Amino acid sequence: MESMEIDSDKVQQRKQSNYSYLDERFEIQKEMYRGQQYSQIYFARLHLMRTLLYSFAPTWKPHLPVCKVLGLEEGKECIIVGTLFKHMKLKPCVLDEYSKERSVTPLVKPHNFMHPDDNLILEDESGRVKLGGSALSPAIYVTGVVVALHGKETSAGEFFVEDVLEAGLPPQIERPLDLQEDKYVLLLSGLCIGSTSSNPLQFQLLVDHITGHLGDDEEIGLASQIVHVVIAGNSVEFPRKLFTGQNLASKDQSTLYEPIKELDIMLNQIAAGVSVDIMPGLNDPANFALPQQPLNRCLFPGSAPYNTFRSCTNPHSFDVDNIRFLGTSGQNIDDLEKYSEAESKLDFVERTLRWRHLAPTAPNTLGCYPFTDRDPFLIETCPHVYFVGNQDKYDNRLLKGSEGQLVRLICIPKFCETGIAVAVNLRNLECHTISFSTQIS
Amino acid sequence: MATTAKNLKGFYKQTKRNITGGISKSKPSSRKVTPKHAATQGSDATQPAALISHGSLDLNDAYDKEEEMLRQFDMNMAYGPCLGMTRLDRWERALRLGMNPPSEIERLLKTEKVQQDCLWQGRV
Repeated sequence: MESMEIDSDKVQQRKQSNYSYLDERFEIQKEMYRGQQYSQIYFARLHLMRTLLYSFAPTWKPHLPVCKVLGLEEGKECIIVGTLFKHMKLKPCVLDEYSKERSVTPLVKPHNFMHPDDNLILEDESGRVKLGGSALSPAIYVTGVVVALHGKETSAGEFFVEDVLEAGLPPQIERPLDLQEDKYVLLLSGLCIGSTSSNPLQFQLLVDHITGHLGDDEEIGLASQIVHVVIAGNSVEFPRKLFTGQNLASKDQSTLYEPIKELDIMLNQIAAGVSVDIMPGLNDPANFALPQQPLNRCLFPGSAPYNTFRSCTNPHSFDVDNIRFLGTSGQNIDDLEKYSEAESKLDFVERTLRWRHLAPTAPNTLGCYPFTDRDPFLIETCPHVYFVGNQDKYDNRLLKGSEGQLVRLICIPKFCETGIAVAVNLRNLECHTISFSTQIS
Repeated sequence: MATTAKNLKGFYKQTKRNITGGISKSKPSSRKVTPKHAATQGSDATQPAALISHGSLDLNDAYDKEEEMLRQFDMNMAYGPCLGMTRLDRWERALRLGMNPPSEIERLLKTEKVQQDCLWQGRV
């Protein structure tokens, strides 16, 4: 007969897992700024992607020669590899301020800058050529993507595209198939602590669930299967009215600090029980340009002493039990949404994977550090789980690659608006949502 | 800065290598044979006419064949843009990206007293 008191034998133990931190490529402590411009990062990107695409060209179109843009001859069918540039009429330009017809430009900027007249241009170090034909749709591509094109130069001086080759999904390390038990990684983003829309009770409910203070044995059993928590950006929101450019009065300084203090208290509770990663987002106190550097540990005096607490870069890459995770706080996908179109956000996510580049629009329209010798956003190994934070709604897709890669794509919704966190099962890459509501209906 | 009549002789004092002017592809015999894989183009873009920077004439036209080699290295498109990086960093990047840059350049940059930056560094 089971007793009704709390039995010490019945205290649930949290499952353990191995964790590897893989963010070295996104850290910029060792980089030195010597006045370089963005041509260096574009060169590194083009060189690395071109070497890859050249290796695919013989299997793709065996009989065609490969040449540079300057080596194009009229009527000669060939393959060229270069970086795409999308010329967009509506893209905001810093010179618009000086244009004479100021009254023509609308005061309200559109959210998406696409226009039917947008056209694509291919560029490599020798030159650029305008692209024609209907094989390459300007609505899908953005500036910064490196592709191989099959076609020929027309008499008008354009390159008529017949076929396109993208890099495709990168190779994937086989994931271990012998995990016997269900272990979950919890993904959440957009806590927005300090904003008017965030509900502290909702987040407290989540924290209580994770730490096993909520529910009956079955609930607690589910919570004990959570081995890792990732917070993907926009954890705080500062009151914008305080940012007037004037020095802050001391009472304003303490109001400014409130959201971070509250976040630290919550993180402290989580870190005491489970390993937690926090990534910076657009509204967090971190640098603006990608890759965003980890939030300073001084911001979290309560949580930082725990070795389960980790402040990470954005984008963030890590392994849990040899399952590779890669994710961002959403800036890369949001920027793609401004300059291209798709039926769903997951299409953008899938495209970045097929282009093997996390943020192709960086540095064109997305802030980026001017690396000289590498492009850290190139995706070299296919992750098993690829997540994007701060999206409007939850969505997921299982993507199958041509070489047997299997990736779970996840759009994590903003927690402050939806109360939804996403749990990914390491055993079979399935994911489900956990939603928290504090409405009393 | 206008030159007065008595300064005109000093103005023309320097002699250019190419009296005929313009771009020519002649190679003086003293130049070392560059190895095949360097793929230099032998363009004359590395021999600028008197550079005028900051309002004064740049008369430092005296550069030797080592600087000439380094300038050819700077101009080589295959190794990427040369501005914003020291020559040694650019050489090392080329090495890391598998482009096999000539080891002669590395030796020059590390052992001898040569310009570490490309010609336009700080001017553009």
